[in-house]
Amino acid sequence: MIISLQNISKSFGANNVLKNISIAIDKKECVGIIGPNGAGKSTLFKIISGSLFQDGGSIIFNDANIDKLSIEKRSRLGISQSFQSNSLFNEMTVKENIMVACSQSFKVGWELFKSLDKRTNIITKSYEIAEEVGLTEYLDFRSDNLSYGLQRQLEVGLAIANNPSLLLLDEPTAGMSNEETKNIVKMVKKLSTYYTTIIVEHDMDVIYSLTKKIYVLDSGDLIFDGTPNEVKNSKLVQERYIGIKQ
Amino acid sequence: MNAVQYDKKLRLQLFIILCCSAIFVNIFGDYFTRFLLSEIIILSLFAMSLDFLAGRGGMISLGHAMFLGIGAYSTAILFINFNIDPFLCSLLAVVIGLIIGYLIGFIIVKTDGIFFIMITLALGEMFHSWAYTNDFLGGSDGISGILRPKLLGMDLNEPLFFSYYLLILLILVYAFLAAVTDSPLGRNLDAIRQNSGRVLSLGGSVKLYKSASFGISAAIASLAGSLYAQLNGFVSPEISHWTVSGEGLIMIIVGGIGSLSGAILGAVVVHIIQHEFSKLVDWWMLLMGGGFILVVLFLKEGLWGLILKFKNYIIENK
Amino acid sequence: MFITEILNALQFSMTLFLLSVGLTIVFGLMKIVNLAHGTLYMLGAYIGLSIWTFSDSFWLAFVFAPIATAILGALLYKVLFKFIQRVDPMRQVLLTFGLIYIGLDSVRLIWGSMSHSITTPELFSNPINIFGETYPTYRLFVILVGITVLLILYFVLEKTKMGAMVRASVDDHETSQMLGINTEKILFYTFSLGCGLAGLAGVTVAPIVGVEAGMDMEVLVLTLIVVVVGGPGSLKGALIGSLLIGFVDTFGKVFFPELALITIYAAMALILIFKPGGMYSRL
Repeated sequence: MIISLQNISKSFGANNVLKNISIAIDKKECVGIIGPNGAGKSTLFKIISGSLFQDGGSIIFNDANIDKLSIEKRSRLGISQSFQSNSLFNEMTVKENIMVACSQSFKVGWELFKSLDKRTNIITKSYEIAEEVGLTEYLDFRSDNLSYGLQRQLEVGLAIANNPSLLLLDEPTAGMSNEETKNIVKMVKKLSTYYTTIIVEHDMDVIYSLTKKIYVLDSGDLIFDGTPNEVKNSKLVQERYIGIKQ
Repeated sequence: MNAVQYDKKLRLQLFIILCCSAIFVNIFGDYFTRFLLSEIIILSLFAMSLDFLAGRGGMISLGHAMFLGIGAYSTAILFINFNIDPFLCSLLAVVIGLIIGYLIGFIIVKTDGIFFIMITLALGEMFHSWAYTNDFLGGSDGISGILRPKLLGMDLNEPLFFSYYLLILLILVYAFLAAVTDSPLGRNLDAIRQNSGRVLSLGGSVKLYKSASFGISAAIASLAGSLYAQLNGFVSPEISHWTVSGEGLIMIIVGGIGSLSGAILGAVVVHIIQHEFSKLVDWWMLLMGGGFILVVLFLKEGLWGLILKFKNYIIENK
Repeated sequence: MFITEILNALQFSMTLFLLSVGLTIVFGLMKIVNLAHGTLYMLGAYIGLSIWTFSDSFWLAFVFAPIATAILGALLYKVLFKFIQRVDPMRQVLLTFGLIYIGLDSVRLIWGSMSHSITTPELFSNPINIFGETYPTYRLFVILVGITVLLILYFVLEKTKMGAMVRASVDDHETSQMLGINTEKILFYTFSLGCGLAGLAGVTVAPIVGVEAGMDMEVLVLTLIVVVVGGPGSLKGALIGSLLIGFVDTFGKVFFPELALITIYAAMALILIFKPGGMYSRL
């Protein structure tokens, strides 16, 4: 088991956004979190990544309690995330974006002062990452000149730059066209074979094709978990989630 | 704040041209031009330190002249009260600037944008007022009697030698800052300026990067202050007034923020307007203010941007 | 002695309030700080000086100098600020920095570099006796002007439709635009009014502090401190900030003359370190 959430709860004022959520995820597992708008998916996601802190319950990551750790420290432990809306370094090229992401693994010290352009290991690494997210042809493009779909791919590229042991993807296909969605699904499918992945997603087809296990949230409660097939066939989920959608 | 387009080659080319013209001026100049040259080189050091901070780290400091003051006063005190060799004084001033800069940076880098401007302004003014009223620092008169170093048998009180000495230091500082700019530290600063949240989520120590670069920048400003004290032979509280920081900002904006050698060009232009035009016309401040506004409005990348366009034009028409 | 100091502090606070209120609301609306605000204060004093010299009436100056600076502010807005709204905020701040130089030189070219003074109007030429201490009545008048402006602004902002629109725009610029509020127009009027108030501050304190080039800088730094300490965008913040800085400065000079200038900066640095957005932050 790589991460386990134990009785996580969170409220904003009188609004209980999450109620006693417990989830455990094994190594190399790829799980999805779904739920209607306002179900608490994003809040849960933020609590795992460290940009929000839970009110109650605890998070165990690799047998250590990480409740109090900041986003930056969690990232150093190997919890990495991509954002729902692109969060890139706009004035930099694709290559520089990835290199900056890779360079976070440096220890503080003199290493920080040696020119980045001469670090062959970092450069090779950045080529590998670019290859994995399908951006090899665009290495020297400024990231704000990329199409939206390619920017989404780079968004995921930054998240995997430091060999994360847990990869959090927040709606990787948000705002994409069908063609672009197909590309990114293919890419994430490949990535999920080496990384433990949690995907929060709106698009049911994407989640069904990517994950082996799905957690369904509804107004702060974990109402169901199971394989894609079980979720598809569950009356409860259909009522609460798919019913609402239609 | 956006920085200029990153072009390492042009940065070096421009720097070499500027250095060559400095050597030319030094060889054929007289006492006054050499003094002017020395002033410009020192201001260039100051402008580069500010350029690194604002252009790379996005930290616009309106109190950076405090570190000029710290460098100048520590040089004066070390030399007059402790009889330390002038060259060693400058080195110690750099170390003092680095330490104080890092500590101050560590406290203030969590503020952002206009708040950062304000807190640096406040700290700078605090130092200025303190120097102005402190008897040990000579109050409003400051401290005089500071001598220049003697190095390798050369007496740097001779203007020709002192200018060369300053030029060598300028080259060293340039090389250092250029290296830092290209290093992971510099690239991360760039990244923080563009999107600090993402750097945090990638596991970068934003606070450490920022305070380290504040320290580096302060150390260089402190060196400039130390040299300024040796150039003039005295130091007064005026050196740390906030208008000096403001002029530094004007220099880097005119030169092209984030371009390093553009900062030197900015220092040349602004200082010449300030000191030479003020002899010719009564309204040089109008000229400087108006010119500055035009640059901010229409030349986003400053003179650097013009040069870059010119260079691209030549390449295309070859 | 103690009452004199309290009144002095109050008078200084009210001057700071007149200066900071326009600046803080414009910051709330545009997210930029007009560093040339002090310049308008200086211009208010100089224009007042000219009107007073020609007409021999302080009251004419008192009425028309603020109107003149408000018009200047309106021009400034139409010529410069309208253009730069899409530029990033840092660049806008730097642009106003350039205006300081232009203002200083214009004043020097028009009025010369000598310092001038305006005589206190006859109505207030006699000091008044308060609890056994004599105090210049004119300073009481300055306090009164500040309080009047405060009350009017409070009434306008809290009780009128216009005020509600201003508050909405400060809180959420985009939403209020979508709601059909003409934020552009609000910005224009607020900016001009702010400049007018800066001019009012300039002409009002001219009989106390005199008129000279460079008076803009002194007051600019203090005003900025008030805005930042109070929390940009907040009327309450501007008031509390003005009182805080006014009193800290006045009593700092009484109790620690050695550290006279340092106390306010120290106060500001402390507040910013512990409350990075100011006391009444709306950001």
